[in-house]
Amino acid sequence: MVWFFAIDEIELGEGGKKPLLVEGEKLLLIRQEGGFYAISNKCPHMDCPLSKGTLEGFVIKCPCHDWLFDIRSGEFLNAREIKVPAYGTKVAEGKVYVNMER
Amino acid sequence: MKKVVMYTLSTCPWCMRAKKFFREKDIPFEYIDYDKADEGTRRSIREDCLSHGEEMSFPFVKIGEDVVVGYNPQKYSSLLNLSEG
Amino acid sequence: MSVDTEKRMEQFRTMFQRVIDPLGYKFSPDTELVDFLLEQEVLLEKEKGNPYCPCQGLTGEREHDMQLVCPCIPFHREHFDAMKRCWCGLYVHKDVDDPDSLVQISKKEFEASRTKV
Ligand code: SF4
Ligand code: FES
Repeated sequence: MVWFFAIDEIELGEGGKKPLLVEGEKLLLIRQEGGFYAISNKCPHMDCPLSKGTLEGFVIKCPCHDWLFDIRSGEFLNAREIKVPAYGTKVAEGKVYVNMER
Repeated sequence: MKKVVMYTLSTCPWCMRAKKFFREKDIPFEYIDYDKADEGTRRSIREDCLSHGEEMSFPFVKIGEDVVVGYNPQKYSSLLNLSEG
Repeated sequence: MSVDTEKRMEQFRTMFQRVIDPLGYKFSPDTELVDFLLEQEVLLEKEKGNPYCPCQGLTGEREHDMQLVCPCIPFHREHFDAMKRCWCGLYVHKDVDDPDSLVQISKKEFEASRTKV
């Protein structure tokens, strides 16, 4: 596993989202129901930034054409074969890390 | 001869083929490009499509009392009793 | 065709290929049709902000129209799978070599065939 530091845990509140650049990848880090979720910030449809979308529970809606993705698996709800890349996360000593190996 | 009326889009290649089909067979037809029509016409086209249990998929071709959605020369021909070819 | 239009068509090709591939579709082997449709989508994007379907009608309601942004396959999956092509014919199932052999089946016909079984 290749863990990279993302942010300090206190930087992101419950229900919050934050675009980040980790190892040259545009990521979106989300804190929901106590967990941290990391997905690519580029929508698999036409590359729109999901960070500008709206989050409801574990579902994020792309701002461009309203495609819905599960932030836990990255799956597009209308066709689960289409995914936004999702990455593992862990928290250690108040710091959030993202596993850049998918 | 049954009356031929179709709803089309100016951007849709199958609509162009449908028009070409009737033109080549010398069958008079009327058409409305949905994307170029005014609000009221658009609304009535939509209602017409929905009332036939269809979506607004073009071309929407009315031949007499019958409706053919899509480019389908076989169906056009048989509804007009044309011989194939 | 302007350089801008051609560039955008190439971008659509790349982005949409990525979307349709996992769904079991490819660009139609009818390259003339593909070029025509992609050009229409570029023009629609310029005019209306999004690469909408060139063969289906917009209503102006966001919920309806967003499902007609290309590729709209995810929102019409079963219907298009039954035809082995999307409504416009821009995309076909991967095993289709002769797109002219495929016919458009209307939504109503498709639903009727489904309830029969
Ligand atoms: S019918 Fe085909 S070309 Fe039209 S939006 Fe859907 S996928 Fe794109
Ligand atoms: S770019 Fe995200 S839904 Fe189209």
